[in-house]
Amino acid sequence: MMESSNYTIVVTGLGGQGIIRFIQVLGNALMNKGYSVITSETHGLSQREGKVKCFLRYGKKLIAPIPMNCSADMIIALEKSCILDVLNFAKLDKSTDLIISEFKKTTKNQEYITDDYFKQNLPNFSKNIHYITITKIKNDIRLLNTLILGFIISFLPLSYQELQKSLNNYFSGEILEANLKILQIGSILRRKKD
Amino acid sequence: MNIHKLMNDTSGKVNFLLGNEAIVRGALESGVDVYTFYPGTPSSEIGEIFMRIHNDIGVKWVESSVNEKVAIEIAGAAYARGATAMVGMKNVGLNVASDPLFAIATTRPKNFNSALVVIVADDPQAHSSAVEMDSRYYLKLLKIPALEPSDPQECLDFTKKAFEISRELKLPVIVRTVTMVSHARSNVVFGDLKSSDISNEFDLSKEVNVASRLYFLELKDDQIYARMNRALHISEESSLNKIVNLEDENKYRLGIITSGVSYHYALEALDHLGISIPILKLGFINPFPVKVVTEFLKKFDKVLVIEEMDAFLEDQILAVAKIADINTQIYGKFPFSYSKEQSLLPLVGELNPTIVTLALKKVLGNEFTLNQNDRNPIKLETMKRFPIMCSGCPHRTTGYALKEVINKIKSLKGVDTYFYQDIGCYTMLSYPPLGFANVKYCMGSSIATAQGVAHTSNDLNIAIIGDGTFFHAGIPALINAVHHKAPILVLILDNGWIGMTGQQPHPGSNIMHYQEGIYKKNIDLESLLIGMGANVTLIDHSSESDSYFKHLKKLIQSKCFEVIDNQSLRVILIRDECIQKIVKRRTPILRQVNFELCNKCGLCYNQFSCPSINLIDNFVIIDSNSCLGCGICEEICPNDAINKVSK
Repeated sequence: MMESSNYTIVVTGLGGQGIIRFIQVLGNALMNKGYSVITSETHGLSQREGKVKCFLRYGKKLIAPIPMNCSADMIIALEKSCILDVLNFAKLDKSTDLIISEFKKTTKNQEYITDDYFKQNLPNFSKNIHYITITKIKNDIRLLNTLILGFIISFLPLSYQELQKSLNNYFSGEILEANLKILQIGSILRRKKD
Repeated sequence: MNIHKLMNDTSGKVNFLLGNEAIVRGALESGVDVYTFYPGTPSSEIGEIFMRIHNDIGVKWVESSVNEKVAIEIAGAAYARGATAMVGMKNVGLNVASDPLFAIATTRPKNFNSALVVIVADDPQAHSSAVEMDSRYYLKLLKIPALEPSDPQECLDFTKKAFEISRELKLPVIVRTVTMVSHARSNVVFGDLKSSDISNEFDLSKEVNVASRLYFLELKDDQIYARMNRALHISEESSLNKIVNLEDENKYRLGIITSGVSYHYALEALDHLGISIPILKLGFINPFPVKVVTEFLKKFDKVLVIEEMDAFLEDQILAVAKIADINTQIYGKFPFSYSKEQSLLPLVGELNPTIVTLALKKVLGNEFTLNQNDRNPIKLETMKRFPIMCSGCPHRTTGYALKEVINKIKSLKGVDTYFYQDIGCYTMLSYPPLGFANVKYCMGSSIATAQGVAHTSNDLNIAIIGDGTFFHAGIPALINAVHHKAPILVLILDNGWIGMTGQQPHPGSNIMHYQEGIYKKNIDLESLLIGMGANVTLIDHSSESDSYFKHLKKLIQSKCFEVIDNQSLRVILIRDECIQKIVKRRTPILRQVNFELCNKCGLCYNQFSCPSINLIDNFVIIDSNSCLGCGICEEICPNDAINKVSK
């Protein structure tokens, strides 16, 4: 197998959570850094709370919008249970970083999957599991995305300033201020973990 | 995407663009005069952007047309008159637009500036469609050239190329995308913007007039033997059809022919296998470059054809091999077998690099055995989630009222009720807990399908159709039903907008509430229905006080009874605006639960099933982040336990 110079992120969550904006902010920052970036976005239908799966891939040259099975470098679940739908992208050597939000969206007809179930099964797919608690963001669940952006900075060839610049392209005013604050908290969260 | 950059950035600038945004830029770099469209995923963003920018950038006419047929007639006539025109739609929209397109394709405008590009966005896997349909066989029917980009950069480049070809040949040119191209976002390098070369001449000679049978055959002859013949030469010489990896040593004696996004999947699969195999990537998918393909086939013992959905390329490759007497073994879908076992690639659904890798391994044989990477995802417990309507969605209110009425009708009248659904957000009424859907075909089909059943049944048949869909394709069906006195109930769910694709305006939309509206005249739906001779009753949420739900229920029940008792047609026009539009104009009045009065009966969070209301730690909680303040929960609560949040 050829040594791959590409990096693949799978982002999953629920419709309406802001996944598209998440990969736009990240992809824009990576493009400005000189990478060839491709994302796939799920648009259309007001699929509120339906499962959404997007890809962000970057490297030296343009690559396919969808990755191979078992090839993701990072999988981000903006809603906890969504991680269980995309583990076919986790590498077999368990090196994929799983970034899992503790945000849980319950449904009317099914008990939410237990924390024990995650603890038992996820280690079969990855040695690098990071749970992100959501206590830092009380008011707007969409800020969770920015918290996670901050958290993953150190995994990527990006600086805080570069992501900040990208956020500037998409937000302004109070919303931008709130996002920048959360971005910083997210980046500190990661450093504390290490 | 920063819209100003899309409009103004100069040649050489790089932007992070969606495939659809790159198509807009490609049109602006071609001096586009006219863009017409009907929104449909995955094509909608093109129209949305044009609506926002066209006044500032001097595009002469942009409209969200009532349907694709009208959209292409407007763009087609502009093309005949000398405009550089573009029209956009999703795959099934081409079905609607195909009728006039046959005539437009035959015409031969004389004006130099005349060019017509038709954007058709397919949706393999039917991510956002009622059916999965490969639009490419239309190319053979219509006999017009088509280009297929594989990524956002090619969306820009191929759109420009399509305008050039159309301008030269005087044929409409289709640019065919798929979801993974239209909705992929990538680095895109800009070229120069171009201003329009439109002149005021309009030569209405026989070349743009296909009304006469004599002229038509003459023009069709010219279309096929002159213009398509030249298109074939362009296709044969075109750099859009390219061969990669040819110089590499190829011990497998295998080649790949592909087009569009499948090209990237093929590259990814080869990268994964660590091998290099020559690929012929077809950017010009019609007319089929016979010589290019023949020369490519001759080089190999085996060729794998990689394409999504139908075996459009493979059919033609098989024919080319036969004509040139080439014995190369051709692999792909074995389209004539209708056999799942024989086909290496599926005729159904989207491809991805994993599927392509598996197909490649099978062609390559023993050296590449299947391994764990090809495994199916391990079965894990997951959450089952249906897409649901937004908090505060008026369709939920209608659906819940309907549910209560239907239960009554069964007990009071002893008849069963069947539902005929249409295309729109209200399609989601078919999911639990409401579950209304018996038949659904396509845009505008609900009324005629209800009629089709009603004439031979004693049950109650209810058609559910949105306002946008009604304007698009429901009007002829309702005229037919009224004329033939069909004993059906038609519910027109008038939320004011084309909700599902992003709240675009339609002819009935309130012209005060969208930017372009100042240039438009509003069509009053109620007057239209009356004019059609329908027995129509209007109910308007905005003019009802606190008892809208009660009145709605009563109205639906009385009309159901009238249909059953009188065996005649009734229409209820339910005017209740899309909540996503309302919240953009005013701050919602949120609701809260009074825990002392709430007995957790579950009516609001289970039966009505508002996603903002949940039972958390044994308390019924209304989520203030997601509640959009429709207020229906307050009205339906049997314990008066829900009230407005005081400021």
